[in-house]
Amino acid sequence: MKRALPVVAAILLLTLPLGVSNQFFLHLGITVLMWTTLGVAWNLLGGYGGQVSFGHASFFGVGAYTTMILYLSYGLAPWYGMLVGGVVGALLSLPIGFICFRLRGPYFSLATLAVAEIVRLVALNWEQLTAGPMGLLITSLPQVTLFGNAINWERKEPFFLIVALLALCTMFAATLLTRARLGSYLLAIREDEDAAESIGIDTTRAKLAALAASAFFTGVAGGFYGLYFRYVDPDAVFPISLSIEMVFIAVVGGLRTVAGPVVGAVFLTVIAELFREHFAVGHLIFYGLFMMLVIRFLPEGIWGRALRILAWRH
Amino acid sequence: MALLEVSGLTRDFGGLRAVSNLSFNVETGEILGLIGPNGAGKTTVFNLITGFLRPTVGDVRLEGDSIVGLKPHAITRRGIARTFQIVKPFPHLTACRNVALAALVRLDTHAQARSEAMHVLEQVGLDDKLNKPASDLTISDQKRMEIARALATHPKLLLLDEPLGGLNTREVQDACDLIQKIRAGGVTVVLVEHVMKAIMRISDRVVVMRQGEKIADGTPSQVVNDPAVQAAYFGKRVA
Repeated sequence: MKRALPVVAAILLLTLPLGVSNQFFLHLGITVLMWTTLGVAWNLLGGYGGQVSFGHASFFGVGAYTTMILYLSYGLAPWYGMLVGGVVGALLSLPIGFICFRLRGPYFSLATLAVAEIVRLVALNWEQLTAGPMGLLITSLPQVTLFGNAINWERKEPFFLIVALLALCTMFAATLLTRARLGSYLLAIREDEDAAESIGIDTTRAKLAALAASAFFTGVAGGFYGLYFRYVDPDAVFPISLSIEMVFIAVVGGLRTVAGPVVGAVFLTVIAELFREHFAVGHLIFYGLFMMLVIRFLPEGIWGRALRILAWRH
Repeated sequence: MALLEVSGLTRDFGGLRAVSNLSFNVETGEILGLIGPNGAGKTTVFNLITGFLRPTVGDVRLEGDSIVGLKPHAITRRGIARTFQIVKPFPHLTACRNVALAALVRLDTHAQARSEAMHVLEQVGLDDKLNKPASDLTISDQKRMEIARALATHPKLLLLDEPLGGLNTREVQDACDLIQKIRAGGVTVVLVEHVMKAIMRISDRVVVMRQGEKIADGTPSQVVNDPAVQAAYFGKRVA
């Protein structure tokens, strides 16, 4: 029963577009699933490893730009470009981790924030590569025929399926990684880094591995963003607020849970949709307020608390 | 060849020389006590040997090979395990999980690590508290658990930083028995300690430090009769 649940949920998710054709609902679903991917990816390092990054927007942005540039300049279809974007994000994460992992706790977090700003400024000013603040625009997506039918990129269904697959793969990978040796090492590091090192764990390597995996999925999600919106600019894919929203999703949903970010992403999307019409960036105030309430009253997150209540009943 | 050779070890913190040209050997199978007044540099020596600090000058050799510059985890894998002066358990995990994590580093499966952890915890007498979170254990039990965690890495050399600190008389006795049992099991032990009576009884040999320098090295009875040691602890006789 417990093993079947994720499989059933995955099948339901992938077949959802058969039943729901309302494009607005599908758009909301796409948004939730993209944020879910980001929350799960962030959780790998921030939740399981206890290394709170405020700089994940750099991997998202680099993934998005890689996807766009590969398509616009080299004609590589964005669905492949996304994967390359993930790899580039992971590669970028290694030097960043090498620098930032010399620091611990809040100092690590501040360093990631600073490095992400550097990456954003590079993207903003390297105009030959990124077109600077103008951004990059995809006017049309490649023609694809699947089972004899041409895919209609003007509808949301194909995007929904792509991002649903991405979210499911990310959750599956997170489950495998955290159950493997790496998960145990991250647990030790989160509990006490010196003690972890003293029992023979290469803490720097374990943190780099978690960061690279986290950056990979964040980069792929960035690539999806480019594919879906067909337009990226530095303000859209590199802002600090994006890094903060990833933290928000993981914390609100539940640190160190695989499904928690789904809950976090639903909340984030709902809050954003409720307030975006009325205030330009006002929704961020409400995220902040909501996050304070969650940290005060549900420190283990909404899903984390739900899991605890369920476990308690059994 | 000595198991561990420390030669010319020096460490500066800014203008302060915490450890100064320190040399001593640890022979296989012995219990070596490292003592000295507060601030003598004992814990710094442990941090230098285990790679948590890099020496300014000097060498540390394990079975003839220099281990200076290796990261702490690499030194642990070479066979030196340690405990901390202020215990560093994995606080939210059970005693069993604490120790199993250490065993997992060199074993293949969680099941093997768990059975190794139970075995080691039984050795240190914590088999009745396997499933207690580490933070709920008494200081004495936390110190035992930390020793178990270090033993689970299968060390040749175990460095204990004040294993008796904060323990009552009864617990000191039990801990001394445990240290002797560990040595009997084939693990060489170096301990930093303040509890003089205990360390003099269980150590085969004692190295005395004062202000970063070695002032005496010998059997407990040689060391207590050494005028330099008496001066370090009690001040110089005036009249």
